[in-house]
Amino acid sequence: MRTFVFAALLAVAVPAGAGLPAAYAPMVVEARGLPERAEFDLGPALQRARREHKSLYVYLGARDCPFCRRYEAFLAANASQLAPQFAARYIVVDLRSALAIQAPRLFFRSGGRSRGYADFMRELGDERARQLVYPSVWLLDALLRPLMQMPAGTGTFETVEEQLEILRLQQ
Amino acid sequence: MKRMRRLLLSLGLLATGPLRAAVGGLPSAAHGDSSPEWDKLREKLFGGRRIDAAPETSKVQLIVPLRAAYGASVPVKIVSRLPQTAGLYVKRVYVLVDKNPSPLAAVLELTSDIGQADFETRLRVDEYSHVRVVSELSNGELHMDSRYVKTSGGCSAPPNRDALHLIGKTVFKLPEGVKPNLPTPAQVTVVHPNDTGFELNQQTVMYIPAYFVRSIKVRYGERRLFDAELDFSVSENPTLRFNFMARGGGELLAEVEDSKERRFVGSLVVAAE
Repeated sequence: MRTFVFAALLAVAVPAGAGLPAAYAPMVVEARGLPERAEFDLGPALQRARREHKSLYVYLGARDCPFCRRYEAFLAANASQLAPQFAARYIVVDLRSALAIQAPRLFFRSGGRSRGYADFMRELGDERARQLVYPSVWLLDALLRPLMQMPAGTGTFETVEEQLEILRLQQ
Repeated sequence: MKRMRRLLLSLGLLATGPLRAAVGGLPSAAHGDSSPEWDKLREKLFGGRRIDAAPETSKVQLIVPLRAAYGASVPVKIVSRLPQTAGLYVKRVYVLVDKNPSPLAAVLELTSDIGQADFETRLRVDEYSHVRVVSELSNGELHMDSRYVKTSGGCSAPPNRDALHLIGKTVFKLPEGVKPNLPTPAQVTVVHPNDTGFELNQQTVMYIPAYFVRSIKVRYGERRLFDAELDFSVSENPTLRFNFMARGGGELLAEVEDSKERRFVGSLVVAAE
C-alpha cells in the first residue's frame, strides 16, 4: 500500500508530457525525498559540465504550471534554431517539480551538501532568493557559480532573439 | 513640483503610442531610442532645450541591467562624469521610466557638497521600457543617458507586508566607512511599502491604495546635500546611495515625508577623522 501511495505521488509530481523538449537533450533530474521535500541533485550535471567544459542551463519547471508549458512550447517550436545554440555552450538540465513544491520544501544538492531554496540562492548571490517563481532558469558554470543574474520567470525571453540574448549572457 | 507631478501623472496615464514589435510580438527598442512617452515628457519638462545624449560627450551614464530579477526592484546606478565643484556641478537629476503609470520616478536637487553626483536606487518598471536619467548642470546644460529594460509587472507585484510596524524607520549606512577628503559613499533607506495603487490585496481582492514616500531631504551638519522628490516608481523601502564630503565630522540627517504627510527622521553621527 505504502509503495502504491509513493508511486502515485511520484506520478503526480512528474507526469508524462511535462518538461523540456527532447531536441535540447536535457539531463532530466527527478526530485528525491517526496512528498515531504523535493531535493534535486545537481552533482552529476556539474561533473558532466566539468568534463565537457560547458556551462549549465538549469530549468526548474512544474508539471501543473501553465507558464512552464508556454516556455516549453516556445522552445519546441523553435528547436531548429535554438537547440544548436544551447548545445554549443550549455548542458541543459531539467528539474521536474510541481507547483505544490514551494520554497520551504525545495532543496538542491551539490558537493555532498543539501541546501534549501533560500540558502541556495543566497549562496549564489541570486536576488530571486525572496520568492520562488515557476519556471525558473539559472545559468551556472561547472563550479556552481552564476554567470548572470536571471529574471524571475521566463516571460522576457520567449522570442528567439531574446532567448539568444540570454544564451549570450547579454546584459 | 507637486503641480508638475500631477501633470506628469495624468500625462503618463494617457500616454500611448505605437511600439516596434520583436519576433513573438514583444516590444523592442535600442537603448538610445526615443519613445512616444518620452517625446511628450521631454516637451513638458525641458521644452525645446538641447539635451546632450551622445555617449561620447554626455556627462551622465546610466547603468541598468537589461533584465532584472524582479520588475518591482530594478537596480539603477547613475554615474556622473563631472566632478561636483562649486564652479560647475550637477544641480538637478531627473529619473524617468517612460512607460510607467507615473513616469517621473525622482527629481533630485543637489549641492556641490555631495562631492560626486553618483546615485543608486531601485525602481519599479511596469513593462518593457526605457529608463532615463537627465542631469541638469549649474550652467544650464542638460545631459542624458537611457537604457532599455525588459521586465514587467513592477507596479503591480505582490507587496511585501513583513514590516508594516516599522514604516518610516530611516537608516543611514556608510558601506565603505569615512573617506577623508574624498566623496564618502552613504546610503539612506526608509522602511516603507511604497504602494503604487496598482497592487492587489490577495485576500480582499481590492487594490491597495497608493501610499509612498514623497520626499527625502538629506543634510550633513548645516549643509544641505540633496532634496529628493520621489514617486511610487521607486521600489519599496526606498533606498538612495549617494556621496558626501565628510569634512570635520558631523551628523547625517534625513527628513522624510510620505503621501499621507507623515514625517520621519533618521540620523547618523559621522566621526571626525
